Amino acid sequence: MKTGNEQRDTLAAPAGRRDWLAGGWALFWENPIGKIGLILMACFALMAAASFVPPLLDPMYHPMHGVDPEISHATGPSAAHWLGTDFIGRDILSQLLAGARIAFMVGLSAAFMSIFFGTLIGMISGYAGRFVDTLLMRIADMVMVMPTLLVVLILSSLFGQLRIWTIVLLIALFRWPGVSRVIRAQTLTLKHRPFIEAARVTGASHLRIIFRHIFPNVLPLALLYMTFRVTSAIIIEAALAFLGFGDPGTVSWGMMLQWVWKTGHMFQAPYWLLPPGICISLLTLSFYMLGRAMEEVLDPRLRKEGESE
Amino acid sequence: MTVGNRTRAALLLLCAAVLACASAAWAKSRHPLRIGLGEEPRTLNVWMASDANSNNILSQIYQPLYRHTPEETEMVPWLAAGPPEMEADGVTYQVRLRPARWSDGSAFTAADVAFTCRLIKEFKIPRHYSRWKFVDRIEAVDDRTVRFVLKEPMAIFLTRSLTIPIVSEKEWREVADAAKKQKKPLATLFNHTVERPLGTGPFVLEKWHKGAFLHMKKNDWFFGQGLRIGGRLLGPFVGEILFKIYGTSDVAMLALKKGAIDMYWQGIQPGYIENLEQHPEIRIFSSERSALYYLGFNLRRPPFDDPALRRAAAVLVDKSFIIERVLQGYGSRMDSILPAGNEFWYNPNLTEYGEGLNREQRIRAVHRILKEAGYRWTRPPVDDAGKVQPAAGLRLPDGSLMEPLTILTPPADYDPHRAISGLLIQQWLRQAGIPASARPMSFGALLQQVKARHDFDAFILGYGRLSLDPDYLRIFFHSEFDRERGWNMSGYHNPEFDQIAEASEKTMDLEARRLLIYKMQEIIARDVPYLPIYLPREIEAVRTDRFAGWVQMLEGIGNIWSFCQLSPVN
Repeated sequence: MKTGNEQRDTLAAPAGRRDWLAGGWALFWENPIGKIGLILMACFALMAAASFVPPLLDPMYHPMHGVDPEISHATGPSAAHWLGTDFIGRDILSQLLAGARIAFMVGLSAAFMSIFFGTLIGMISGYAGRFVDTLLMRIADMVMVMPTLLVVLILSSLFGQLRIWTIVLLIALFRWPGVSRVIRAQTLTLKHRPFIEAARVTGASHLRIIFRHIFPNVLPLALLYMTFRVTSAIIIEAALAFLGFGDPGTVSWGMMLQWVWKTGHMFQAPYWLLPPGICISLLTLSFYMLGRAMEEVLDPRLRKEGESE
Repeated sequence: MTVGNRTRAALLLLCAAVLACASAAWAKSRHPLRIGLGEEPRTLNVWMASDANSNNILSQIYQPLYRHTPEETEMVPWLAAGPPEMEADGVTYQVRLRPARWSDGSAFTAADVAFTCRLIKEFKIPRHYSRWKFVDRIEAVDDRTVRFVLKEPMAIFLTRSLTIPIVSEKEWREVADAAKKQKKPLATLFNHTVERPLGTGPFVLEKWHKGAFLHMKKNDWFFGQGLRIGGRLLGPFVGEILFKIYGTSDVAMLALKKGAIDMYWQGIQPGYIENLEQHPEIRIFSSERSALYYLGFNLRRPPFDDPALRRAAAVLVDKSFIIERVLQGYGSRMDSILPAGNEFWYNPNLTEYGEGLNREQRIRAVHRILKEAGYRWTRPPVDDAGKVQPAAGLRLPDGSLMEPLTILTPPADYDPHRAISGLLIQQWLRQAGIPASARPMSFGALLQQVKARHDFDAFILGYGRLSLDPDYLRIFFHSEFDRERGWNMSGYHNPEFDQIAEASEKTMDLEARRLLIYKMQEIIARDVPYLPIYLPREIEAVRTDRFAGWVQMLEGIGNIWSFCQLSPVN
């Protein structure tokens, strides 16, 4: 397998791209970190998909509004409630499953948006250079130093409780600069490559060069960063919800933790406290592991000696 | 060992034992009472203080002329020496004062009382002015006698006016004079920083280490020391109080269990009780409160300007569900603005909306109410066959589609009960097709939106420490108070109510006034500008191994009677 960017010069050939993907996948699967990460993530994806099932079985399993008519306080695991109930008799397992859905939604969408902004700005900045580069990178610097959690907390206290999509957008708006810096650096190395020169000589427009020639070459890097961004987005949303600034209309894991805390069950109900905490840790870990394994696929310098190509 | 030696050794041992006992007793008396506070007090300026923690500290320092006994049955003279003497004209009262001293040893005189009352009137201090504006003149007859002349007979004078905290003229005269010369006198008075408040109460502030603790010492000049007031012998029998600040209840509960504090001066969530009950040295107090937690509507704009819709919402709100589950049974339902415990004034014959109905019956009842009032649905909550179904497309009597509306609540961080109640009410309203969504927002922003801007549809708020005198009924709903930052937050206007409310304020005959208060409650229950929901109980936890003598009364055990009676456990 060809390494680094040189293989991308030949990406135009579909067979070559297939080979690269197959090789990359083999390399990824050989990596135990990647394998564990993928399996973990698949488990959580299953949980998210399964979250639609409990409310169909019985309205009392609705994660937000369903309550067990027989139970009006926090109870431990039982046959009807495998993980127990919260203080008003809602099923904790249903909430946990719904939380997985919210975590995926928040994590993936915030990461996708921040990668979208970061890649676009990074490519434009690297390709255009000069004044545009300076301006965009200074803005990136300014945004980068802002503490995301603190700014979102302040905005939330100013404008009242934020809706989940507003939180997603805010996370994305504060998390693009890191990506844009990396993409810009990659674009800078690419723009002097012969195939870009060739495209320019044949009269390709700037837009075409950016999106047709540079973009495919920075895409793997962007996807790699996306896995790390998912992690940070999930943690920020959970922290916000835990501190009482989440969207009250959604059942997220952070929100579950806040309910445990605020209703005085922190030390009394481990069956309620531990599941969301463990899930947050494992899901973020799974994305981190995926990212680490992808990094090894994309950057040959990280591979161990004698590892296959 | 000789006999002499043995005797000497025994004497020595005896002396050591006596010394050990004496030093233990001395150490015990030196041990301060340690109290946990939920937050740092915001100010020690008694005119500015509106938060519970500031008031908790200040209640040890500034004292009123009269206060309620723990049994809440009567007012007893506190700084006053006896009941106020009313003259034949019905508007002149004379109050005789106890011999008392300020904590610096200077004499407490009638001039201090007159100064305090005039200050409230001159600066129109918002929290107290409404109970003093009907007082025409305040005179210090001699050092220990004050005369009040009212503009007209006023029923609330003893219970509401004479219960304000009295400040020292020496401490506030210069501040007040300087403030009067400023452009904004009231703001200047509020912004005055007080570091060592001068009071007549049982304790004085020794040190405030911000972010960590407040240290109070026994006031040697406390007027009540050794006196029997309200049938109780007053101390204080505790030399010092240390107030420790805890950011969260969890940490405070751990501190209580470990013995780092003797009491946590804040209501705790029912969730803690089970765990605390496993510790034999911890005692839980569950006390009645004089409070009101309610759903308020904005009557100034659609859709809640229509009483039929408000009544429909009242039927949909399942108060028993909220009390049983959200409050975990530590509360009771409210159907009047007055708590049921206020037996003399409480009207027990009010409409109990939705009482005894299950969810389906509630939806059917609301369908009927709204249909009769001219509301229509694209998909009604009850179909032609009489089956309950998810409703949609609610149209107002004028044919327009009902816009999505918001129920503002404090955040779960501030009060999880109200935040979760908001979410439940949102769901119940939606079942009848009312497109409601709960929106928790920071408490300050919520008050701004509701009280100042009047920009809201509905909100859930609460009042704590309501006075036993039901005059607040007038203040909450009289049209006079529908103004920016006024107490009539719903914007309720009803000339009939206004007239009765004005009469109730002035009626001196208790029975006649009770009838008026009953009528006011009936009108409010009929028109539902506020829907009273629940009255939570105050749950407090204390350690019993070091101090005893907590006095339980309305609003809990954190009261002046407790602090005057607590003593170390032998």
